[in-house]
Amino acid sequence: MSFPVLDEHPRKATDAATLRLFRARTAAWASLDDVQALRDRAYEIRMRAIDDLDAHLGQFVTALEAAGGKAHLCATAEEARATVARLCSGASLAAKSKSMLSEEIELNGALAAAGVEVVETDLGEYILQLAGEHPVHIIAPAIEKTKEDVARLLSAVEGVAIEPQLEALAQAARRQLQRVFQQADVGITGANFAVCETGSICLVTNEGNGGLVTSLPRMHIALLGVERLVPTLDDLSVLLQLLARSGTGQTLTTYTRLLTGPRHADEEDGPEELHVVVVDNGRKRIRDSRYKEMLACIRCGACLNVCPIYRQSGGAAYGTVYSGPMGAVLVPLLRGLEREPGLPHASSLCGACTAACPVKIPLHELLLELRRDLVGERIAPRAERFAFTVWSLLWSRPPLYRLSTRFVRFGSRFAALAGPGRVWAAGRALPQPARRRYRDMR
Amino acid sequence: MSELVDTFVRNAEAAGFEVHRGEAPRIAGAGVSRADYGVAATGSVVLAASHGEPRARHLVPEVHVSLLREDAIVADLAALFAALDGRIPSALAIVTGPSRSADIEQRLVVGVHGPREVHVVLEAS
Repeated sequence: MSFPVLDEHPRKATDAATLRLFRARTAAWASLDDVQALRDRAYEIRMRAIDDLDAHLGQFVTALEAAGGKAHLCATAEEARATVARLCSGASLAAKSKSMLSEEIELNGALAAAGVEVVETDLGEYILQLAGEHPVHIIAPAIEKTKEDVARLLSAVEGVAIEPQLEALAQAARRQLQRVFQQADVGITGANFAVCETGSICLVTNEGNGGLVTSLPRMHIALLGVERLVPTLDDLSVLLQLLARSGTGQTLTTYTRLLTGPRHADEEDGPEELHVVVVDNGRKRIRDSRYKEMLACIRCGACLNVCPIYRQSGGAAYGTVYSGPMGAVLVPLLRGLEREPGLPHASSLCGACTAACPVKIPLHELLLELRRDLVGERIAPRAERFAFTVWSLLWSRPPLYRLSTRFVRFGSRFAALAGPGRVWAAGRALPQPARRRYRDMR
Repeated sequence: MSELVDTFVRNAEAAGFEVHRGEAPRIAGAGVSRADYGVAATGSVVLAASHGEPRARHLVPEVHVSLLREDAIVADLAALFAALDGRIPSALAIVTGPSRSADIEQRLVVGVHGPREVHVVLEAS
């Protein structure tokens, strides 16, 4: 696996966006009285739910069903897709609000195959859907698109040219998506959090599309990662203080909705049915491993914005739904390390991700731990393991170490002749070791 | 009490609300809602779905007006959830400013799906 540097335009766009989001987060964190104490509380809240996940899930399901909602527990992505498809049978149009989990379980394709037209309503996701692409950043999905790109895509929908100006583009998208909100049979959303004590789903959006897809269609289906449980509303207030600040630098996301059951009989709008599809897809396996802290992730994207690998290579280079440091840890855990052996190496281990994480996940330590597993479980290539075995054999013995340094001068010439050394040396000049070793100068 | 109101006004204006006192502005086509609470720390209005307060009212019109009693302003989110005291509506919207997006070139545009213009009218207790 390689992480090439992006082309000039997407690189500049990614650089500018991640820098802006980084500055916004640090300013928003500074506006809190004691951000460290809040991060500690957030970590404690997340781990409390994860450590006793089954009991919390049981409490959530009971409260949800008492409020008139229905829970569907799905062990695999396949089961989740089938469940949503079954709930949507008879529907022809589904309006969707942003959900990374729906990308993870590849929902849209399954619904299309079942004859349901799915339209993304988050502006960035809508643009990507029109382009036939996938999100490259958790909270800024279309980070690499220019307004000219967007104008081309939106113009094609209406068959008239739309000016590549921000206002005109936003108005065009509003116009095009209004029909979808009004006519959709089903609204599909993710869930930022689920509150155990009340059975509520918490959903945050800045555009208001989350509100529309949960108000107008007659059915609401919410996809919930089983780990996104929060014990109480008071706990939720702590996480909400950190989510928007860490994601975009806002004090609070513009529309923060708490949805508790379907509409009441006397209400004018809202879904008649609320279904919460709770997806495991490998999460309980992570809960039972020494990587369980990864489940604390609240998907704010802060670690992407500070990561030197993400900032140079962009989200698409990871080739997976989740990118950046959180993706490099989470995806091998969800899919199996043997299927994603390259991802743990997509890091310089500088630790910027760990410092940026609002819930204090030790991301770079988990990456290092995954690399240890690559060797321990013999997933790393035999030659690589052999090279490191020989190296550790030589350099842990002083006489052999001294002997080896004597040959550096010759070795570096040979290193450029074959294997990775040759690739590395193709575009660079190898450093020349000094004629005399430091130890010989005494 | 008035300190809470002042904090609310400052933060609501920072979030993009126009704050009025006493009299509601007359704007043709505007949606008008009764807010159940205001949150001082974030400058948010809190709208609970109920008979007479549909969920989409604050989202569909291009201009929205929230009527808010000063004594319904609470300090922060924790105080809001405590004030609910177990009476949870089917939908509770905590609204902090106009609909916005930065999805195109990371530049802010308002009024993407929801209102482009939002007002709060403070009513003395």
